[in-house]
Amino acid sequence: MDNPALECRDVTVAYGSVMALSGVGIAFEQGKIHAVVGQNGAGKTTFARVAAGLVRPAAGELRINGQQVKTGKVKDARAAGVELVHQSFALPPSFTVAEAMEFGSDRGAAIFTRSALQKRWAPHLKSLDVNVDPKRRVRDLPVETQQGIEIARALVADARVLILDEPTAVLSPSGIEMLFERVRKLRDRGVTVILILHKIREVLAIADTVSVLRGGRLVDGPVACAEIGAKRLAEMIVGPAVARTLAPGDADAATGRGAPAAHTANHHTPADAGLVLDMRGVSTQSDAEGPALRDLSLTIKAGEIVGIAGVEGNGQRTLVRAIADLVDAMHGTLAVGGVDVTAAPLARRRAAGLRIIPFERNTEGLSLSSSLWENWSARELLQSRLLSAINPARLKKRCDEALQAWSVHYATTGQQAGSLSGGNAQKVILAREVDADAKLIIAAQPTRGLDIGATAFVWQSLREARDRGCGVLLISSDLDELFDISDRVVVMLSGEVAGTFSAPYRIGAVGAAMTGVSQ
Amino acid sequence: MTGKFVSVLRGLIFIVIALALCGVIFQFAGYSALGMFHSVAEGAFFRPGAWQQSLRWALPLFITAAGVGISFRAGYFNIGAQGQFYLGAICAAFMAEWLNGAPAFVVIPACFAAGMTGGALWALWPGLLRLQSGTDEVITTLMGNFLAGLLLVYVTAGPLKDPSGSGQQASSRPLAAAYRISDSLGLSPTIIVIAALVAVAMWLLVNRTAFGVLASLAGRNPTMVQWQGATVWRLGLSSFLISGALAGLAGTIEFMGPNGRLAGGFLPTHGFTAILIALVANLSVVGTAFVSVFFGGLASAALYLPIMAGLPSAAIEIINAAIALFITAKSGFVDRLLAIGRRSA
Repeated sequence: MDNPALECRDVTVAYGSVMALSGVGIAFEQGKIHAVVGQNGAGKTTFARVAAGLVRPAAGELRINGQQVKTGKVKDARAAGVELVHQSFALPPSFTVAEAMEFGSDRGAAIFTRSALQKRWAPHLKSLDVNVDPKRRVRDLPVETQQGIEIARALVADARVLILDEPTAVLSPSGIEMLFERVRKLRDRGVTVILILHKIREVLAIADTVSVLRGGRLVDGPVACAEIGAKRLAEMIVGPAVARTLAPGDADAATGRGAPAAHTANHHTPADAGLVLDMRGVSTQSDAEGPALRDLSLTIKAGEIVGIAGVEGNGQRTLVRAIADLVDAMHGTLAVGGVDVTAAPLARRRAAGLRIIPFERNTEGLSLSSSLWENWSARELLQSRLLSAINPARLKKRCDEALQAWSVHYATTGQQAGSLSGGNAQKVILAREVDADAKLIIAAQPTRGLDIGATAFVWQSLREARDRGCGVLLISSDLDELFDISDRVVVMLSGEVAGTFSAPYRIGAVGAAMTGVSQ
Repeated sequence: MTGKFVSVLRGLIFIVIALALCGVIFQFAGYSALGMFHSVAEGAFFRPGAWQQSLRWALPLFITAAGVGISFRAGYFNIGAQGQFYLGAICAAFMAEWLNGAPAFVVIPACFAAGMTGGALWALWPGLLRLQSGTDEVITTLMGNFLAGLLLVYVTAGPLKDPSGSGQQASSRPLAAAYRISDSLGLSPTIIVIAALVAVAMWLLVNRTAFGVLASLAGRNPTMVQWQGATVWRLGLSSFLISGALAGLAGTIEFMGPNGRLAGGFLPTHGFTAILIALVANLSVVGTAFVSVFFGGLASAALYLPIMAGLPSAAIEIINAAIALFITAKSGFVDRLLAIGRRSA
């Protein structure tokens, strides 16, 4: 292969004692779509950041179009035509959408009015199916919409090598199809596209070649996709040892291998089980975090996992906040565990058995600069009076027991929650929220950012809670996850229920409901 | 435990650095740095009677600083201790004036109640503004300090004015000897007992109640406790009230003890020194007690320096200011120092 579009030779990156990449050598051919896959923590994002000049490797070199490029310089990588779309959070928060688009296009110092900018960028955004008002500020948008803008922004620049870091994670099935169409068009124009993905199904649908990273090392690649089967790829991603320990359905869901239609119901909720969530005709007002709920009714029986599917920003966050009394309901009634809590504050809803694993693990779920035992005991302490006496030694001991029972890896209960990895942090939240008195557990994106081992652990915990008779409301943007463990999937669109599905799931029908296209 | 030890050590590092800086400044200004430190140490702790003097300043400072620590822990930067301290003194003075003639066992508790209520009320309105409409408490409590200072000038020149005063400084009538809780040296069993009670109560509140843990969680991440079902305003408002009440208590003690009367603009840096103490002590109650003794020593040395060493008493203010400078720069500065230490280790 002469002059690969992008080549890494022997690249090594270490963060402290953790080797993010070790001795990775890989070359991508011009004008093709390349996929880089691996589980969370495999080094995919680090690889992308090295290629874009954001991370300076400790060793190794980077060549673009056969020319050696200084590592660790964004400017040089840009000049050579490499553009990276980040996973999230790279837009200036105080900018409006239109300003953020203009800022990315490097047009120089001309004077614009806001409305001119809005007029210029609205069609571009629309053509990429990013449904957002260009007047809104980036900080007011959900992460997922921000990522959509990021993709649109990089497609404006004249990129010869475009790297997209997990671009599909936030899109609906039809959105993914549209993105893929766009990527193919870019390839036909001669752009080399490198997609960081974690779903085998998507890799096989779009990529010409695939490279697999595991634990910071290149397992193999680039391999032509035509020559590799889904099963072999799945094994390469999780490693032969892990592949044996996962339940077959979980392995498929985690690697996005299984055809969704293959999911079948393997659990039967008793027909006469009581309702742990009975939400009737709930409406709210819209706010910065999402659209209003409109006359939404939802029930969950004891011993049932109900999944909420939907493109992010269609009211999932509002739904969780309405159940948690963190947004005012205008109309409707709400009962948790058979107790009417329509007018009750969150403390009383929690007393009725409500537990929440919130969307934002690091802000809503944990206080990162507080100790583990304080984080763990918060729920219990709030159920007693403010001035009630506590015994820190006993709380620490019980926290120790609880965290060990949930196999959290930590040194002492006095260490800061922020020192834990994402998976361990999520287990601390599980240890707090999934207790014996829980009746309704809301799990909002509980596996986002977790590696396969931790993901399977979370799924198993939710299943066990269900088998004990809890109701679980699982909100996820990962359809494989929803199909794998839900007994029923409800699709939300613009704050309303757009459809209810049960196994076997048809991804086409669910996707259509998510985007409001009637089939 | 090691974590706590390290954080106290950190606080001490600032004091050492600040003192070194002051030494350099004084050396350049033509004084002997070593001589100054010697006089400060002597004035604070080593001359006969120095300990009593240092404790006289340390105890009220500790009471105010313990309250400041409560509101800082809960995440509210209540820098209005000075105003709350004044309001405490003013309300106690009004109560004493109103009940003048009644037996001491009625008047003294009533004055304490009035002083603590006054201080708490002066923290209540910034607390309400903050929790109801998000008004920045740094601004409101700071403004509250000025208002309280002016109020003090007004009451000492108006309603509580001592008609027999010399006219040099407006002040209230001296408190009847029967109601005084100490002589003008300012150290008495009553004051020691009150400070000890405050220490125990605050330590219990912070370390042994649900409130302590939840307020500290809320101070670091209010969103998280909200998702746990806490009513954040209850935690917040109680912290404001406790810190105000304690500053008011210190004001009452200064009025009924060592000062024995209200004077316009008395002890104008009390509240700010207390904030400094709370920060150096890293908001721990035990730490606040020790750091208060250190700053009490500095305050006592300030009176001794001009007499014995020919140094301006402003030297102490320079030391205080230098410590404040390093404390406010602390997170970035010392963490970097410690990081360098780790790397070279």
